[in-house]
Amino acid sequence: MSVTRRRVVALLVLVLAAAPVLAGSAEAQAPAGPVKVGVLKLTSSAPIFVGVEKGFFKEFGVEPELVYFQAAAPIATALAAGQLDVGATGLTAALYNIVLGGEKLWIVADKGREWPGYPLVAIVVQKELWDGGLRSIKDLKGRRIGVTQLGSTFHYHIGNILQKEGLALSDVRIVPLQAMAATVEALKGKQVDAILVPQPFPGAVEAQGFGRIMAWAGDLYPWQIAAVFYSDKLARDRTRAVAFMKGYVKASRYYHDAALVQKDGRPAHGPAYEELVEITAKYTGARPEIIKLGFPFQDRNGRLLVPDIERQMAWWVANGFMKRPLPLRSVVDTSFVEEAVKGLER
Amino acid sequence: MAVERVVVADRTAFLRRPDHRVVRALALLGLVLLWELVTRTGWVSPLFLPSPSGVLAEGLDMARSGQLLVHLLKSLQRLAWGFGVGALAGVGVGVAVGFFAMAEAVVQPIIAATFPIPKIALLPLLILWLGIGEASKVAVVALGVFFPMAINTYAGVRQADPLLIRAAVSFGAGRWSVIRKVVVPSALPMVFAGLKLGAGTALLLLVAAEQIAADAGIGFLILQSGNLMETTQLMVGIVVLSLLGVASYWALGALERVVIRWRHT
Repeated sequence: MSVTRRRVVALLVLVLAAAPVLAGSAEAQAPAGPVKVGVLKLTSSAPIFVGVEKGFFKEFGVEPELVYFQAAAPIATALAAGQLDVGATGLTAALYNIVLGGEKLWIVADKGREWPGYPLVAIVVQKELWDGGLRSIKDLKGRRIGVTQLGSTFHYHIGNILQKEGLALSDVRIVPLQAMAATVEALKGKQVDAILVPQPFPGAVEAQGFGRIMAWAGDLYPWQIAAVFYSDKLARDRTRAVAFMKGYVKASRYYHDAALVQKDGRPAHGPAYEELVEITAKYTGARPEIIKLGFPFQDRNGRLLVPDIERQMAWWVANGFMKRPLPLRSVVDTSFVEEAVKGLER
Repeated sequence: MAVERVVVADRTAFLRRPDHRVVRALALLGLVLLWELVTRTGWVSPLFLPSPSGVLAEGLDMARSGQLLVHLLKSLQRLAWGFGVGALAGVGVGVAVGFFAMAEAVVQPIIAATFPIPKIALLPLLILWLGIGEASKVAVVALGVFFPMAINTYAGVRQADPLLIRAAVSFGAGRWSVIRKVVVPSALPMVFAGLKLGAGTALLLLVAAEQIAADAGIGFLILQSGNLMETTQLMVGIVVLSLLGVASYWALGALERVVIRWRHT
């Protein structure tokens, strides 16, 4: 290649790269590199997996790239540090504290709720205590309860369940054990009396015989446990942000119709159910029969329970895990999901 | 007779090591100022690196609410037990192994085999044996202190000048008298070196132990603040740890000067 030709090519590349900027608001089809999505390898990430596998994101011109994490809080940190564009995971005190610390990120859509009739997180007690008559939340008074971390969704959930039953968080001893596997081990070793763990752990504990599921936490206290978050950078890139959301809402509808519909209190799976199980098994690395234990509930259109976000912040503040509450509009933005739903119809 | 003075340049001047006390203070101050500057100008977000003034304010806040004291006392209590038990056992074993051939034959291979195990790796095992309460936390700190103490004391005892021992014996000293009056005093400098090593190890293991199933302590504070993304609080914990390290080194140095007076006068 001659020098001049190389120069011409370089100029062409430059012009092409600048084209979307020059064109002002480019069409949704204009790709600008992959959208990095931080997820956990859990059943509750299924809508994201579906969107990737079925090409729903690509349909709207967005190239997703999955980045796997081990816990929810680091996803929020990576998002604030600009290493991710989208996070899809549990709502923790860490996430709110990041925004309180001056970084920007946006809670934009539903990514899973604790809901009656949809098993997700269970309260599991030691088999011997269960046999000895520890069968209700009130019996947990004075007991040691194992969770992954302080400030985690499990911490929030048990605190609210206790309050609903007339107890306080200080009536029990919350023992943070850092990892889910360690939490299960602590119950096995009788170092805690009860634990909160998500599926498939409760099923596995009962199968091994050292614990009993006392209750499904969602039956006792429903709440917006997980959400989709946008980095500030993606939120500013309106076209791309809405395009991603269109793909997500489409995946969300597919997920809802396949796995969440109930008839007379019993699950009535849609025709795509087997495919959904297969996709989830492929991405989580779990066996299909474990996946079939249950899919968590979420809104068909990915709409968020906005008042619950306010309730969560108030609880973290009241219990000393957050300095002060944030104004809702500094952390929640539902305009993307609304625009996407409007643009999709049905 | 006239004395002719010849000025000779000290050609070993480069070997002199002046104290530069002012430079020492300025270096530390400069680092803190640079840190404050970096955070003030907004180059680094306060979430990822809280400013020193913010850390100080948060620390004062936590001290006023009594929260910091709860964590500090809990950690100091664990340190005192772990350090005390580990140091006493280490000195005892070290003296015995250094002095009695039989004890050396029995214990030395055992120490050689167990010393290289990183004590953190034993933490899960200790939790299984002793539960998630105080015992396992104290035990891991004690183990971490025991080994440097035992090994240093042993080396110190072995280094005792045979001539001094012989002299003591020829003046009619018994076995215990020799240990008490010759062997232990000559081992003391090594014992103190072991104590200082042990103090660092003890802090390290304490923080690790407090990150599992604790509900108070500096290690717990650091982990919890990290989990909650309260980075300013996290930094307070780290600064307290640094101060604890400096304080223990200084206290041991002061104790050393009192105990081994002959060495410093």
